[in-house]
Amino acid sequence: MMSIDDDLAATVALSGLPGMGPSRLRSMVAADAPSRTWERLAAGRPVVLDRPFPEIRAAEWSDALRADPAAILARHVVAGIGVVRPGDPGYPGRLADEHDAPAVLFSRGDPSAADAQHPAVAIVGTRRSTAYGEGVARALGAELAASGVTVVSGLALGIDGAAHVGATSTEVDGEGADPSGARRVAGPVAVVANGLDVVYPRRHRDLSARVARLGAVLSEVPIGARPERWRFPLRNRLIAALAPVLVVVESARGGGSMHTVREADDRGRTVMAVPGPVTSVVSVGPNQLLVDGCAPCRDADDVRIALGLSTMPSGARAPRRQSTLDEAAILDAFAWTPATVDQLAERSRLPLAQVSIALADLVAAGEVVARAGAFERSGTPR
Amino acid sequence: MLATTSAATMCGISGQPVRVEVHVASGLPAYTIVGLPDATCRESRDRVRAAILSSGLTFPQQRVTVNLAPSGLRKIGAGLDLAIAMGIVVASEQATKEVVQRIRSMAFLGELGLDGAVRGIAGTLPMAAALDADELVVPMVNAGEAELLARHVVRPVAHLTELLGALDGKAPWPDPPPAPRRAESPAGPDLAHVRGQPFARLAAEVAAAGGHHLLLVGPPGAGKTMLAERVPSLLPRLDPDAALEVTSIHSAAAEPLPAGRLIDQPPFRAPHQTASMVSIIGGGSHALRPGEVSLAHRGVLFMDEMGEFPAVVLDGLRQPLESGSIRVSRAQASATMPAGFLLVAAMNPCPCGHGGSLRCECSEPMVRRYRRRVSGPLLDRFDLRLVVDVPDRHQLADSTPGESSASVACRVAQVRARARQRGVAANSRLAATQLDECSILDEPARAMLERALDEGRLSGRGLVRVRAVALTLDDLRGGDGHLDREVVAQALMLRTEIDLRTDSVVRA
Repeated sequence: MMSIDDDLAATVALSGLPGMGPSRLRSMVAADAPSRTWERLAAGRPVVLDRPFPEIRAAEWSDALRADPAAILARHVVAGIGVVRPGDPGYPGRLADEHDAPAVLFSRGDPSAADAQHPAVAIVGTRRSTAYGEGVARALGAELAASGVTVVSGLALGIDGAAHVGATSTEVDGEGADPSGARRVAGPVAVVANGLDVVYPRRHRDLSARVARLGAVLSEVPIGARPERWRFPLRNRLIAALAPVLVVVESARGGGSMHTVREADDRGRTVMAVPGPVTSVVSVGPNQLLVDGCAPCRDADDVRIALGLSTMPSGARAPRRQSTLDEAAILDAFAWTPATVDQLAERSRLPLAQVSIALADLVAAGEVVARAGAFERSGTPR
Repeated sequence: MLATTSAATMCGISGQPVRVEVHVASGLPAYTIVGLPDATCRESRDRVRAAILSSGLTFPQQRVTVNLAPSGLRKIGAGLDLAIAMGIVVASEQATKEVVQRIRSMAFLGELGLDGAVRGIAGTLPMAAALDADELVVPMVNAGEAELLARHVVRPVAHLTELLGALDGKAPWPDPPPAPRRAESPAGPDLAHVRGQPFARLAAEVAAAGGHHLLLVGPPGAGKTMLAERVPSLLPRLDPDAALEVTSIHSAAAEPLPAGRLIDQPPFRAPHQTASMVSIIGGGSHALRPGEVSLAHRGVLFMDEMGEFPAVVLDGLRQPLESGSIRVSRAQASATMPAGFLLVAAMNPCPCGHGGSLRCECSEPMVRRYRRRVSGPLLDRFDLRLVVDVPDRHQLADSTPGESSASVACRVAQVRARARQRGVAANSRLAATQLDECSILDEPARAMLERALDEGRLSGRGLVRVRAVALTLDDLRGGDGHLDREVVAQALMLRTEIDLRTDSVVRA
């Protein structure tokens, strides 16, 4: 009594077995019908896979194998989580040529947001971002989403979150401004390393819900899977695969984003880097990429050109706000690192009252943000 | 025979008069003390007996009953020894008629040694204030305190025989110890020693002038403690009434008094983070002793490493911060003690101290746990929240001294005087309606505040606090309550969102 649904349920159940990685799952699914594999394992019989995988003995999963695959699949359906396999409608085309394409993909929202017909850009970076990096990521996310480019990211703290905050901020303006639909706002896509029943980090619960509403949150692990360390590099390979262009905003030397860069390189994706202050630890990664010959990303136009969407800067950049002399002196005094009022007053040699007025106006204009009590240049004035 | 003498005991920070009744009657030799004495007070039996014998008198071989009235009030400490001894001397008919007559208008405070020596006690000043006697006999070491009141003829004695001799008229009353010269130096170290950091100096000045509580956040070495220690030197000298009140509290807590006896400089208290709830708030199981919050009354309470204090201690600060006094209740008694202090707190931004900067090695949950120790309501009490950083190196090398404490204190005193004209002790006590009466926001300043409100950088409560700080800034420059962008911008910068509660990195 085999059916497609049985195979789907068995694939979902197999994907949730402890320690199950994408390539082993793929070769398991390719070797035999998943429902038969599950039955063999549940009956305690070994499963032989192609090399390099060793013979799988059911004993290692004896607890997990007592579950009923149909019930596991039902839980996903009840939770409103979509389940697609390669070849199903909604399965992202960009993953089709993947060597280790996910044998099953879980989604909240509309997985077709990740479809190959939409131009897409992956924006990644460190969790320990500066206001500068977050400002750039947010602005890139907002502008690219508004011009119809899907923003792919990992929903982590810092740069990832900022990119999606930007990408989800234009929903009203974008759709309202262009009813013809010719230049629709693209839905954002987030790829996470844990089951879609929880949001990690918790602080991004609202953001995750917004991304799911406008686009999709994807995962290759079923509900109940915790964010384990080894899953993050695997998540990064999906981010690299889902967009033809990867932008690294901020990353320390040897950060996780640099792993995503290698994954993108392997797939022949275009890697771009946002130049940063040479004094900033989290700009070491992107600055090194620039030295290594990556294209610089200054703004959304640079990304659009890399995507082949335009050949020329739009020139439609908002005119820069005219700074007063005091404000210019304060901006100079920052030297692109966080500073206290004291430090700004000492460096600019201006009286406290003038420093305070200039800072208050700069904060109001979005050129400076207050963070943890100190002030930072945002790099992206409103 | 029955004899009655006057004395006093302590309850919280105030003295309570006590009548000591001694009854000596025939019967089996016995010596009992009734009237709710604590352990120390009950032990006076043995001290008093030895002291009387050591002074060349006899202890009655009869039934001796000592009653401490009012009997419902708990008697604390050894300060009643001298009054009990005098009562026994009179009741056992070892004193002349003239002496008995004279003792009726006297009161006695002091602890006795076995050799008859009269030892110093805590709380002489508040107890003296509670007594109506014409003459007040006190231990020699407490003479200065008792004389501050200038209400009694103070008779300092060092030994029971001295007292008996002077009462008999055989010897003159001993001379009080010479009054030491009053120190004229200002309280604590001088603000001139703080190099650079003009904004942090301004914050200290505003805190002192307006009574605004100050929170300093910054890495080790940023000068948080240095700045906090200098805040008392900016506060005005205490006026006579206030000085007496503060001295009284310190006397009650048995804190050493300065050479000039009267504490006329604002006190500076810096309890360690391991201090117990009782030592900070006040109380104690057998005597209601004032805590650090009361000892800092009219002065500065400095809490270094505020995040390291136990949460119960920090929450215990909320009542005194709100009302300027603390009510301590125990099963036996309760007392309200003044606790109107300026709170200056310092903390690191995170456990490693380098928070926010890229040097920080703390994980997200560690930082969140650390910051959660300071509750939102407590954080709300700080009108001034400032991040300080280690000054740039050339600033430290810069040898020009900053403005001195004395010159800043002049401006502070003027601002305080204006606050009194408005009917409050300091601008921080002005309610929103009073602020409306005594200050006007001009249009550009209002726009600046409204923008901060709209963008969520300022809460409704924060708006009122910023206005109060702006008014203090305006007072400091000698203005007339016209709040412009200059003072409002500085007030906004002095209340930077430390984000202790919601360290949200990404704002939508």
